[in-house]
Amino acid sequence: MIQLTNIEKYYANKGVKNYVLRLVTTTIKQGEFVSIMGPSGAGKSTLLNIIGMLEEPTYGTYEFLGENVTSLNERKRIELYRNHIGFVFQAYHLIDEMTVYENIEAPLLYKKIGSSERASRIADLLDRFNIVAKKDLFPNQLSGGQQQLVGIARALAAQPSIILADEPTGNLQSAQAEEIMELFKKLNQEDGITIIQVTHSEKNAQYGNRILHIADGVVKEDVTVA
Amino acid sequence: MFKLNLKIAWRNLWKNKGYTLINILGLSIGMASCILIFIFIRFQLSFDESYKNADRIYRVVTDWKYNAFDDFSAGVPIPFTAAARNEIAGIEKIGAIAKIDDIVHVKDDSGKEILKSNENMYFAEPEFFDVLHINWKYGKPAEALKAPNSVTLSEAMAIKYFGSINNAIGKSITLGTKTQLRVTGVFEDMPQNSSFPLKIVIAYQNLYDYYGNKDCWDCINSSLSSYVLLNEGLSKSDLDGAMAKFNKKYYADRKIEGNQVNRLQALKEIHFDERYDNFANATIARSQIYGLAVIGLFLIFTACINFINLNTAQAVNRSKEVGVRKVMGGKRKQLIIQFLTETVVLVLIALLVACIISELAIPSMQNLFKNQVTFSLFGHPVIFVFMILLVAFVGFLAGFYPAMIISGFNPALAIKNKVTLNNNGLSLRKILVVVQFAITVILIIGTIVIVNQMDYLQQKPLGFNSAAVVMVRMPGDNISRNKRDNFKERVLKIPGVQLLSYCQAPPLSQDVNSTNFTFNGAMNKDFEVRTCKADEDYFKLFDLKIIAGKIFMKSDTANGYVVNETFLKKVGINKPENALGKTINTNGINIPIVGVVKDYNDKSLKESISGLAISSDKNQYWQAAIKLEGNHLLSTTKQIEALWTNTFPNSIYNANFVDERIKNYYESERVMGILFKVFASVIIFISFIGLFGLISFVAMQRTKEVAIRKVLGASTLQLVKMLNGSFLLMVFIANMVAWPMAYLFVSRWLSGFAYRIDLSVWPFVMAMVISMLITLITVSFRSYKAANANTIDALKYE
Repeated sequence: MIQLTNIEKYYANKGVKNYVLRLVTTTIKQGEFVSIMGPSGAGKSTLLNIIGMLEEPTYGTYEFLGENVTSLNERKRIELYRNHIGFVFQAYHLIDEMTVYENIEAPLLYKKIGSSERASRIADLLDRFNIVAKKDLFPNQLSGGQQQLVGIARALAAQPSIILADEPTGNLQSAQAEEIMELFKKLNQEDGITIIQVTHSEKNAQYGNRILHIADGVVKEDVTVA
Repeated sequence: MFKLNLKIAWRNLWKNKGYTLINILGLSIGMASCILIFIFIRFQLSFDESYKNADRIYRVVTDWKYNAFDDFSAGVPIPFTAAARNEIAGIEKIGAIAKIDDIVHVKDDSGKEILKSNENMYFAEPEFFDVLHINWKYGKPAEALKAPNSVTLSEAMAIKYFGSINNAIGKSITLGTKTQLRVTGVFEDMPQNSSFPLKIVIAYQNLYDYYGNKDCWDCINSSLSSYVLLNEGLSKSDLDGAMAKFNKKYYADRKIEGNQVNRLQALKEIHFDERYDNFANATIARSQIYGLAVIGLFLIFTACINFINLNTAQAVNRSKEVGVRKVMGGKRKQLIIQFLTETVVLVLIALLVACIISELAIPSMQNLFKNQVTFSLFGHPVIFVFMILLVAFVGFLAGFYPAMIISGFNPALAIKNKVTLNNNGLSLRKILVVVQFAITVILIIGTIVIVNQMDYLQQKPLGFNSAAVVMVRMPGDNISRNKRDNFKERVLKIPGVQLLSYCQAPPLSQDVNSTNFTFNGAMNKDFEVRTCKADEDYFKLFDLKIIAGKIFMKSDTANGYVVNETFLKKVGINKPENALGKTINTNGINIPIVGVVKDYNDKSLKESISGLAISSDKNQYWQAAIKLEGNHLLSTTKQIEALWTNTFPNSIYNANFVDERIKNYYESERVMGILFKVFASVIIFISFIGLFGLISFVAMQRTKEVAIRKVLGASTLQLVKMLNGSFLLMVFIANMVAWPMAYLFVSRWLSGFAYRIDLSVWPFVMAMVISMLITLITVSFRSYKAANANTIDALKYE
C-alpha cells in the first residue's frame, strides 16, 4: 500500500544541512498496524507527515496505492484525503465552533455524501463509540478521552483505508489511553483498516503488529510483534 | 454545506463579540453614510431625465465674450423664439417660457377675496409643451394656452385655490392688480427632481404686460428662455452651422456688443451648469457630486480597512481549524467560500444597522437642505440595487484578502498552531493603517480650512454697514409708486426707524444689472459696468464713504453717477478727482460722474468687486432699505408691516434683513462645511475604533513577550512606549502622506474665492496634533492594560 524509497528530509540552515530523515526505505502493506517509535527529535512525526502528504520529502520517492505521490498537486492530494486517509491528532483538533455531530459530519460534507447517508453513518459512529448522548455538545464540554473518541469517529466517517495517528494517546490518562488503543486494534482486526501511529509508549506499540524504531532519522529496527 | 457555513459563521461572530462589534459598528456607519450619499446623488442625477425625448431637448442660452470677461445668461431676447422658429432648420418644435413673480388673488363665488399669495408664475407658449411633455389632467396646452388671459394650474394649486380640479375649471384668478385670468387647464404636479417647478402657467401673450421690449435683440433677461426639440436623429452639432448663421445675422451684423451669441444647452446639463440660472434655482456642479462620491468611497474604504486588519490579525486564531479542515479534504476554494460567507453575514448585519442609522439621519439631511426635498430609503428601487451591490462590494473587498490569507495556511504548521503571519501580511496591514489615517488627516485638514474660511467670510469687513437694515419689497405699479413719498414720511415717524432709502438692491447683492457703456466718448470693450439705482439717502444709510465729489442731487431720474474706485481703476484713472465731470453714456444717455465712492464688496466674496455706477431712477426702485435702531427691532418691524399692508392693500409684505440675505449667498459653502464636519467625525470614529481593535489584538498577541519583559525588569511606562511606538509612527507617516494631497485639495477649493484666508501651516499641524493625540489616547488605554496585566497568568500555560 505504501512504498517509501530512500526518503530524505533535511533543513538547510546557513549552508549546513540538518538531516531529519536519512535514506528511509520501507513498505507498509494493507491491513498492517504499524507503530513508529523513537526518542524525541528522531524524525517520527516528520515521517508520519510525509506519509500523510503534509510535508514533502527532499529526496526519495513515495508511492501510495501504487501511484507516485512524492509531489502531488493540491486537488489530487485532497482527493486522497477525502477517500483514503483519516487523521487523528494528539491534541484532538476538533473544531471548537462545531458540535460533536457537526465535527463528524464535516468530512462527509466535503466528500459530498447525501444527507440521509450522512445521517445514517454518523448515527452508526455515535452508536459504536457510545457518544450518542454527547452529539449536541461542543468539544470543550467533553473530557480528553471523549474528545479523542470524537476525533477517531471523525477520521472514520469518510471510511478511509488508512488512519494516521500522531501520538493519539499522548494527552490522555492511562485508562482512557487503553480504551483508545483497544479501539484501534479492533478497527485494524475487524475492519481491516491500516493504522500507522507515532507513539512513545512501548505498551501502546504492543497493540500493533509491527514496530519501526527510528533514531537520528534512520530506521534502526523493523520488528514484527508476535 | 451552506447552512452549516452560516451556522459556523454565526458562532464565530458570537465568540469574538468584541471584534464583531467593532466591525459592525465601523461598517454600518460607513455604509449608512454611503447610502445617504447615494440617495442624495441619485436624486441630483435624476434631474430632468424622465421627460419624453429628453435627449433631443435643448435650452437656448446667451453667451458674451468681452476682452476682460465672459458672461452667461439662461435667457434669450424676446424676439428670438419667433425668428428661430422660421429660420433655423433642424428644429422640430420651439417654445418660449418666462418666469415672473407677482401676487395672485383668488375670490370666492360671491366676489369676496379668500386668498392672496405671492407666487412664481410662468408665461408659456403652447409649443413649449410640445417640447417638454407633461401630463394634463384637464385640457390640452394647444387650446388651454392659446388665448390671452388663460391660465393653467398644477393639481396642487387647483386644489389649494378651488378645492378640487373640477371646481377650478372655468374659474378666475386675478394676477397683480387687475388682470383677470380664466383657468383652462390642470396639469400633474411637477416632480421634485425637475428644473421646471411649474405651478401656474399663463398664456404667453400676457407676458407683454411685464416686458415691453418686444423687438429688442440686445435686452436679455435670464427669466425669459426658450426651449427647442431637435428633429429626430439630429444632434447639437448638426445645428452648428444654422446657429452660426443666425448669430451672424442678428448679432454680429447688427453690431451688438460683447460678441453676443446664442447656443444650445442640453436639457440634462441645466441642473449641473452653474454658469446659468434655472427656474428651480437649483444647480449643483458635477464636481461637487463627484467630490461627495469620493468621500463616500473613502468612508467605505476606511471601514473595509478596519475589517481587513482585524481579520488578518485574528487569522492566527483560526489556523488550527484551517489545518483540520484541510486534512479532512476541504479544498482551499471551499475554505475561501466559508470565510466569505462569514464576512457576508457580518456585512448583512451591518447593512441592517446601516438602514436604521440612515432612516434616523434622513430628517437631519432634509433639514440641511431646508426641507425642500424629501429623501427616502425606499424612494426608488435602484436604492435596493445599490444596497445589494454595496454588500457584495464590501463583502468582497473586506473579505477576500483575509480569506486568501487564512485559507492559504500550510496544514502541517497550522495544526500545530505554528503559523506566523509573515512580514508581508504585517506590512500590508501597516500600509492599510497608513492609508486609513491619511484619509482621516485629509478630512481633518479640509474641515479646519473650510471652517476657517467660513469664519473669515462672515467677519470680513465688507465696506458698508448693514446692521439692522431691513429690506422691504415695494410694489411696482403706478398707483403704488405714487404712494411712496407718503409711506416714507410715515415710516420715519415710527419709533426705532432711523432712515429709509428706496433702491434696487442692498450694496451686496447677486441681482446684477450690467450694461455696456461709452466712457468720455470712447466705446468700452473691456467690461460691462454694473449699474445700481438708489436715492440719495442710500449712502448715509449704508455708511458708504464718498472720497471725491459729492452725492448726486435728489431727483426722480438720473442726473449724475457716483462710481466706485474699481471702476476708475478699470478705465485707467488714477486720481478720483480727475474722474469728476467725465461722462458715461449708456443706452444713448450721457450722464456726468459727480462723485466717487470708496470700494465696498458688491458681490459675494467668491467674486471680486465690479466696476460700479450708482444713480437715481425712481422707476427702478424695487425695495426700501429701512435702518432700525434700538432694542425693539421686533416691535418696530411689526409696525412697519402694519403700515405697509395698510398702504398697499393689494400686495404682500415681504421683508428680510440684509445680513441674513448675505448669509444666504454662502448656503452651499455652509452645507459643505457641515458635510465635512459630519464626514470627518465619522471617519475619525471609524479609524479610531479600528485602531483600538488592532492594538487590542497586538497587545493580546504580545502578552507573553510583555510578561517576559516584565520579569526581566521593564517598567510599565517602557512597555506602553514599546506597544505604542509603531502606531504613532504609522500615524505620523500618514500625516506626511496626507499633507501634499490635502494641500492640493484645499488650495483648489480656496481658489474659488476672490477673498480667502492665507493658507498657513497651522491647519496641517493641528490635524497632526489631533490625530497623534487621539491615537496616543486610544492606544495607551489598551496598552496600559496589557502592560499592567498579571505576569503569572500570561506565563503559566507554557
